[in-house]
Amino acid sequence: MAWFTDRHLFFLAVLFYGSATVYSVFLWRKGFRRDDWTNYLLLAAGVALHTGAMLQRGLTLHSCPVNNLYEATTFLLWALGLASLVYALLPKFKFICAFAAPVLFTVGVFALMPSLDPPHGLKPEFSGALRSLHAATILQAYGAFGLAAVGAAMFLAQQHDLKVRKLRALLSFLPSIQRLEAITTRLTVVGFVLLTVGLTAGAWLPRKDGAPYFADTKVVWSALLWLVYLEQLVAHKFFNRPARQFAAGVIIVFALLLLTFGITNHFSALHN
Amino acid sequence: MSVVVIGLSHRSAPVELRERFAFAESKIPDALNQLRESGLITEGVVLSTCNRVEIYAATALAPDDRFFARVKKFFVEHHAYDGELGDELYTFAEPHSLQHLFKVAAGLDSMVIGETEIFGQLKKAYDLAFSRKHTGARLNKAFQRAFNVAKHIRTETNIQRGSVSVMSAAVELAEKIFTNLAEHEVLVIGAGETSEKTARALQSRGVKKITVTNRSSERATALAAELGQGTLTVPWDQWPEVFERIDIAVSSTAATTHILDRAKLEPLMRRRKNRPLLLVDIAVPRDINPAVSELENVYLYNVDDLKAIADEYLMLRHIELDRCNQIIAEKVTALMMQQNLR
Repeated sequence: MAWFTDRHLFFLAVLFYGSATVYSVFLWRKGFRRDDWTNYLLLAAGVALHTGAMLQRGLTLHSCPVNNLYEATTFLLWALGLASLVYALLPKFKFICAFAAPVLFTVGVFALMPSLDPPHGLKPEFSGALRSLHAATILQAYGAFGLAAVGAAMFLAQQHDLKVRKLRALLSFLPSIQRLEAITTRLTVVGFVLLTVGLTAGAWLPRKDGAPYFADTKVVWSALLWLVYLEQLVAHKFFNRPARQFAAGVIIVFALLLLTFGITNHFSALHN
Repeated sequence: MSVVVIGLSHRSAPVELRERFAFAESKIPDALNQLRESGLITEGVVLSTCNRVEIYAATALAPDDRFFARVKKFFVEHHAYDGELGDELYTFAEPHSLQHLFKVAAGLDSMVIGETEIFGQLKKAYDLAFSRKHTGARLNKAFQRAFNVAKHIRTETNIQRGSVSVMSAAVELAEKIFTNLAEHEVLVIGAGETSEKTARALQSRGVKKITVTNRSSERATALAAELGQGTLTVPWDQWPEVFERIDIAVSSTAATTHILDRAKLEPLMRRRKNRPLLLVDIAVPRDINPAVSELENVYLYNVDDLKAIADEYLMLRHIELDRCNQIIAEKVTALMMQQNLR
């Protein structure tokens, strides 16, 4: 079974994410009227295979598998998938899986592109406890931001239906908008704290050729991301930015994060 | 031995007739005694509610026209009724009698389809007959099965889902906006009957703090007293001031112009730091200018919106009827096969 690599396991995981996405479309169309376990189980199967893939890669490398764009992306998705499964156990939160599945599927397909996973030796250049902490916490932060975006999408869907007086708002098994707003805010705070810890850990890493950190594209991008999330939280918490604008902001920032994640990595000497 | 039903309900008879044939609870055991002593039936249960008066019985006689004519005669004589009776009084023999019993238990024959009150009333009627030993193997089996089928229908279908009244729709909306109603204060504007009903519906779902305002302060005080502990009053000219602390406002005044509009609410929302606000306007003509719903975090529902929600729920219940009838048909067939095998 030597031909069966961790990438094959991840491919199977993405197939389950895809099945969950297709099933999510039916749930959307039906207006989330039944407390549904099918989507949860599809996603759980995907996360289990995904965990297996990461474990296999980690055991091969003897370190946290966050050394190239493929590994970083799969780590981010894993954090998002696992957190979705945990949150889905809260009352009326099962449909978080229906919102998370499309993100997991589309980004999973992107991660499978061979160019994102160039072969590396058994001892990657990127190793050490502090570097692992730096990469893992930042990717977990992205996972939390991703889940916050999922919560925000649920909030916007429900808020819109309530505002335009659609019966679907009452028929759906979605939590109250107040709860969705609280969850979105909490996840953004968690992501922000993890990002802060990750970036701080990164600042303690030895500098390559003594070059200033802020000359690196990825560092500048990360600092901007940190500032944008800080602005989102401060405006919402202390300046009464309406929940709808906050939710839209969380979704937009995460979408930008996903879109620019690969590009900034590509132009970063420190992270490439 | 077979199960039969004879009775009248909101579907067949007007309220004047239903109340004429109603059985007082204390008289039910005597009526069942008389029926059993007449040799017409061997087991019996009398269900008497505001919407139906029915006798469920098990008889060893053939349930033909002659049999039903004799039971009808008893029904009429027992109530000393001397008027004319036509189709108002219906009769069912098996399998229709069992189908009817199952439908009644599941609330499918009720005025508001899917309501659950009838389940309790039927259970009470059965318990009374059972305790006085007016039931036997046949009716015990039929009633137990009816209660099981009703529970099955409740969990497997959407027949009991949703609010079919304006007040309960308002409460359901509040629960879709706020996580825990106990943490939110309600302002009741206008001390009429509708306001009271809505406030009570909110209280039944956990609301603890209510403030009442009315042009006549006496009526506001009276309603506050009716609503009990945790209810305050505020003078009519000062109600906008409490907007800072309330999250739900129910308005039902007799005002002929809007008492709340965008210009008035906008600064109040700023003072509320844009917290979500549910406005329920059940007044006709409307108390709240519809333009306020354009404001961020304001959710405005008027009586037509709530009625539309209740009607759609009712329509959904009607759609579920086919599924429920199918379940009942299967359960009745299963029960009858079981009885025939014995």
